[in-house]
Amino acid sequence: MTNTDEKTVQHMDISVPEEFALRDEVRWLKSEDLSLFRFLRETMNKIEPAYIATYPPSECGIATFTKDLSSAVAKYTPFSKPSILAVKREHEIEPYERVVRFQVFKENKQSYIDAAKYVNDSTIDIVSVQHEFGIYGGDDGEYILDFLEALEKPAVATLHTVLQRPSPNQKRIIQEIGRICECMVVMVRTGREILLNVYDVDPKKATVIPHGVPNVHRVSASSVKRALGIADKKILSTFGLISRGKGIEHVIRAMPMILEKHPNVVYLVLGETHPGVRKHEGESYRNMLAETASELGIEENVRFNNRFLSLNELVRYLCATDVYVTPYLSKDQITSGTLAYALGCGKAICSTPYLYAEEVLADGRGMLVDFESPESIAKTVNNILDNKELKESMETAAYAYGRRAAWFNVAVDYLDLFHRIITREKVKTGAAVEAL
Amino acid sequence: MEMDLQINVRKNGTTRIIDLHGEVDAYTSARFREIMLELIDDGGIDLVINMCKVEYIDSSGLGALVGGLKRVSERNGKIVIVSDGPQIRKVFEITGLEKVFPIYDEEHHAVEAVGVKADS
Repeated sequence: MTNTDEKTVQHMDISVPEEFALRDEVRWLKSEDLSLFRFLRETMNKIEPAYIATYPPSECGIATFTKDLSSAVAKYTPFSKPSILAVKREHEIEPYERVVRFQVFKENKQSYIDAAKYVNDSTIDIVSVQHEFGIYGGDDGEYILDFLEALEKPAVATLHTVLQRPSPNQKRIIQEIGRICECMVVMVRTGREILLNVYDVDPKKATVIPHGVPNVHRVSASSVKRALGIADKKILSTFGLISRGKGIEHVIRAMPMILEKHPNVVYLVLGETHPGVRKHEGESYRNMLAETASELGIEENVRFNNRFLSLNELVRYLCATDVYVTPYLSKDQITSGTLAYALGCGKAICSTPYLYAEEVLADGRGMLVDFESPESIAKTVNNILDNKELKESMETAAYAYGRRAAWFNVAVDYLDLFHRIITREKVKTGAAVEAL
Repeated sequence: MEMDLQINVRKNGTTRIIDLHGEVDAYTSARFREIMLELIDDGGIDLVINMCKVEYIDSSGLGALVGGLKRVSERNGKIVIVSDGPQIRKVFEITGLEKVFPIYDEEHHAVEAVGVKADS
């Protein structure tokens, strides 16, 4: 986008509101009405969760997820202190927020045991493990098992990757996590089925809680586009940390076929190159995408925004979007934060049929296209843009799903799960997703 | 942005019955709080908040209720909730606020619980 566009959009009141949450209200009461403050402190529930994961300013999806989840949960528990056990490389200095109370050195096995000791000696009630093979040290991130073995408090694992064809070591790790943890959370039913069928996880230990999405109320794309100075354009978009597995080149190759029918379409590729990818191959993937657009003569219709976008910026761009596209290449992908966000904004979505997309876009919430197929993408996008009723019905269905998955609802599901585990109640399997 | 909360007020002596329909969240809770505080300042002593048609309430909605509780407490009033849905009840239960704001399935039970007094 041009600088002019950036300035204009700042004036639009399309942002996720700052909320005066229960936690803020209670803090205010401490100075305004001490007796009511004390009454609430004695009466309300207290759960002190810790989260072991990567954490901002680390740039990765799990770090963002952990911040969103822990913040959302904390809003309901004004008398509890959340803790983050942040996993990082030993030599990196991260300016963490105060909520990070322990730093786990990724490749240092002893650091995981020390983290467990820290939790054991604290008032922490339960640990939420955010699991993805790559974020922990050791082969396939197996050091997380050293943490869990040394932990004397209950733990819940949220699995961000559930492979259908794991290596023997990956399978062992997931099975061990399943054995030690009180419960494993996945974000779609398919993930739970894989856990039961491939990993033989105890069905009583596997539950579904959707990926959280920001609380965004619906707004018409046209009003946002006016503010962006692109009122006459139809917008396709893809956002997130850019890497080769995203398959963005297939959307770019679909563009000429889309432009034939809809010459005013612009495809926005929003977000910077994944830092891990940038370290190894620089901007070669993004350069390839730009070259492809140039070879096709559609540079004006494919625009890149190569930087980290704030939540409000993302929401503005998503609100301006007519069709959101996730052209990802891996069938096994079991979650996608960006797709979840697009659902939350009530967008018409077109996606390749990876496992997460297949499930969350069912029942008219989106349309699936073939992997690596510009023709399939073009046909579907044209269909959505040609058919106003279809587009509106997809948007309405996506939004309804997104409301149930808003972070404030997901936080309640997690708190309910934590509470049940602490009080040793039976975990309701699939409880959250049944409500969708 | 759309404001997805309808608020309707009924008067019963010094009790004000507030019907909420929609979502009580970061977009709508400020307006809910404002109306609640106005009702208390205008002579409402007890509030019955009917949430049977509330789809979701978030922590800002709970915060608004605590703000209202502070104001009614100054007048020895109460706030009680009417809700017959598990989702709303769960939010109060997990926070422990069901011990602060009694929840009733039926509105008439909630009205009885606060005890209607004649408006002066």
